[in-house]
Amino acid sequence: MKKTHIVGIAIIALAIAAIIGTLSDSSTYENFDVAFENPNHEFHVVGTLNKEKPTIYDPKNNPNEFIFYMLDKKNVEKKVILHKTKPQDFERSEQIVIIGKASGEDFHAEQILMKCPSKYNDGSGEFKTPEEHNEQNLSS
Amino acid sequence: MEFVGEHLLAGKVGNFFVIFSFCAALLAAISYFFATQKNDADWKTLGRISFLAHGVGILGIISTLFFMILNQYFEYYYVWQHSSTELPLRYIFSCFWEGQEGSFLLWAFWHMVIGVVFLFIRNKWEAPVLSIFGLVQAFLMSMLLGVYFFEYRLGSNPFTALLREHPDFSDIPLFTNPNYLENLDGRGLNPLLQNYWMTIHPPTLFLGFASTLLPFALAISGLWTKQYKEWLKTAIPWTFFSIFILAIGILMGGAWAYEALSFGGFWAWDPVENASLVPWLTLVGAGHLMIVEQRRGGVMKSLLFLTFLTFILVLYSSFLTRSGVLGDASVHAFTDLGMSGQLLLYLLTFVAISIFIFVLRYKHLPSSEKEEELWSREFWMFIGALVLFISSFQITISTSIPVINKIFGSDLAPPVDAIEHYNSWQVPFVIVILLLMGFSQFFNYKKTEFKKFFGKIFTALLISAGLAVAIGLSMQMFNPFHLFMLFAALFAAVANLDYLIRVMKGKIRFSGASISHAGFGIMMLGALLSMGKQEIISNNTSSYDVTMLGENYDNQESILLMKDDTLQMGDYLVSYVGKEKEGVNIKYNINYYTKNDKGELTKEFTLKPQVQLNDRMGNVPEPDTRHFLFKDIYTHVTWAVLEEKKDDEVEKAETQNLHVGDTVFLKRAILIVDSLKQASPIKYEELMPDDIAVEVALTLWDFDTKAHKMSPVFVLRDSSKVFSIPSINEDLGISISFDRIYPNNGSIDLTFIEKKSEQKEFIVMQAVLFPYINLLWLGCLIMSIGIIISIRNSIRIFKK
Repeated sequence: MKKTHIVGIAIIALAIAAIIGTLSDSSTYENFDVAFENPNHEFHVVGTLNKEKPTIYDPKNNPNEFIFYMLDKKNVEKKVILHKTKPQDFERSEQIVIIGKASGEDFHAEQILMKCPSKYNDGSGEFKTPEEHNEQNLSS
Repeated sequence: MEFVGEHLLAGKVGNFFVIFSFCAALLAAISYFFATQKNDADWKTLGRISFLAHGVGILGIISTLFFMILNQYFEYYYVWQHSSTELPLRYIFSCFWEGQEGSFLLWAFWHMVIGVVFLFIRNKWEAPVLSIFGLVQAFLMSMLLGVYFFEYRLGSNPFTALLREHPDFSDIPLFTNPNYLENLDGRGLNPLLQNYWMTIHPPTLFLGFASTLLPFALAISGLWTKQYKEWLKTAIPWTFFSIFILAIGILMGGAWAYEALSFGGFWAWDPVENASLVPWLTLVGAGHLMIVEQRRGGVMKSLLFLTFLTFILVLYSSFLTRSGVLGDASVHAFTDLGMSGQLLLYLLTFVAISIFIFVLRYKHLPSSEKEEELWSREFWMFIGALVLFISSFQITISTSIPVINKIFGSDLAPPVDAIEHYNSWQVPFVIVILLLMGFSQFFNYKKTEFKKFFGKIFTALLISAGLAVAIGLSMQMFNPFHLFMLFAALFAAVANLDYLIRVMKGKIRFSGASISHAGFGIMMLGALLSMGKQEIISNNTSSYDVTMLGENYDNQESILLMKDDTLQMGDYLVSYVGKEKEGVNIKYNINYYTKNDKGELTKEFTLKPQVQLNDRMGNVPEPDTRHFLFKDIYTHVTWAVLEEKKDDEVEKAETQNLHVGDTVFLKRAILIVDSLKQASPIKYEELMPDDIAVEVALTLWDFDTKAHKMSPVFVLRDSSKVFSIPSINEDLGISISFDRIYPNNGSIDLTFIEKKSEQKEFIVMQAVLFPYINLLWLGCLIMSIGIIISIRNSIRIFKK
């Protein structure tokens, strides 16, 4: 057996390990029901902010705690405690992804991603009504 | 309706150039194809003419688009979307390539420039190489066509008029005016991209991407014309040029992220960053295998594989970032321009070409039957290239999770802690690479005697082990992986410098490899120390209790700074002294002080992190960093009250019955009722001579234990009319009125009205100390110099 064969086998083994490692490290997108059935396991939950309920951020008390109510894709609402600073402009988010664990009645999130318009956005979604569009362009 | 003042000619000219350069590119591809197949000079001349015509076409498109942006033709969708009347001229380039169409143009422009240069150096590979260039360019130009085939739109044309792109806008009152252009302004360049990085980063990165095409085209040409090895001579300098430019482009992206975006570091394993890193890794592997193949041979198949893969990964990265497939997975959520099908076709075409020609010529590929020598430089270079491949494979798999989801319909989410995930794989890989860099310089090509080798390497091993122990101890590094990487990085740097001095005797001409490898070692040392030992200094110093938060949640990375308060943070005392507004940016001035033995404060520096009020992406914090030789202090505002609160919001009035000597706890002070006395009419203008007026003296202690005096007055006028002259204290945000006296027990009624909002302004901020980050930039510089020396040397060999 040539050395290159040994190397080749090692490479394949590492490649398989990389795939398995990635799969095992990857989390899954779930709804609140699954997250709360498996407390203390990490999940990604996608949903939207419940804008009817208040968001609580009292930085004087604790700058690293932000509480809001989120609806998941099945429209289940839970109280979310984000252990971070409140993201600037949070209320404008269209969609939220929270990453963290369920514990008791609350979901404790360590990270948050918000869907926001980006540099590659074609911008057409920005003008939902003609009036808004008009205002925006005429104001400048 | 007829509109007034639209400049429709410019669009027609631009469109003509798009179609012209598309056709010319196709013609160049075909002509050069036949020139290669038939070895025919006429076909070659036609190819030459059409490729140059294609170049003229691209310059025409670019000039037209610039002309439209400069003259602010907002009737065009692209200009409207990316520019505005307020855009400063210096951002005109950023504006040009902000959109997908502009960045395709930039990419195609660099392909064209490289192609034309290649054409003029009259290389013998001109015909097959430029045939492939022509095909690539035809694909890129098709992205700009904007032609409809039935329902499917091919490409997105930057010369489309606004109202044609958005027929839905025609209902908007603005556009019902035939003279709408007088009122129309563009949406403007995203404020986040209005900085010099956006001017220099994209052209560099795209030159890097574009330059990977030449090694790819040369490899294909070699197989095509059955001259399996000859192409290497031409390919090596170009490959290392590409490695150089792409490295600069990637690091520039890192520097941008570090300086101006709040990633909290220069590398965050973001999908977009990964997409640019992966082709670089495979290209570095390919470049090294080219050297091995030229010296000794036997690695042609792996070399071709990595060369093809590099270009395909460039296409794949463009597919990932432009097709919208990354979706939720990236912080940059990209939107689909409806071109994912076209992008996929572009990608798959070149995958198919690569596989086809590889399989077709597989049997003829040179290979070596003899056993590889274990103690030879080329064997370990080969191993290094494979490690690079595995490393890029791992990054690709993890970054492609959204693609895997699309294909298999699965619902996988990216790893929760992406940085941790990638580091756990990539740190071991980089350790192996660094060790190989150190060792393999001391191996000879072909065969090395082990004892001799060990004697040579011993000094470097000893020095770097000593340094690693010293640095590890002084910086308190306890993570074994970090320690191992520390040793490996030092070893790569020391061994290569040692080789340069002792073996090469400082001969610069041949020292490219040693210098660039030493540079890479220093770069990794900087990366390890700055990221591994970064210290969030903004924790736990605020006076507010954070221990009650409980178990696992200790990421207390931000502190609250009240305006004018001074808090301890790391070795500094910091104070938030105020803010100022500059355009769309609010700058927060934060002073850093040091305290000497006597307790005196000395102001060291001021940092001005800012929050950008960005109506397109939400408000974006932008950090400010103080650079020192051996560390950086990085500060960014994580939260601030942006809208001014109305001051007149007050709590419900509250009345209390009190005696002299009583204490009342208010929101912002503790109040003590001192005494009652008759109010003097001289002191209060409102009083009339016959009024009976009683004043109550109050002392309010605020929480800084400062005393404030207040004295509301109770007035009885004409024996029937009762009212109070309230006392107001702005600092405490309180108004107190004296409503009643009870003569029977001497008690009084006071009514308190307190302001709801705290008067004091505050910010929440994060500060991070990055030690020795300058080593990263220094290493990058040294590596660049080394690569340039190598390129010069390989050109010299090539000319012989």
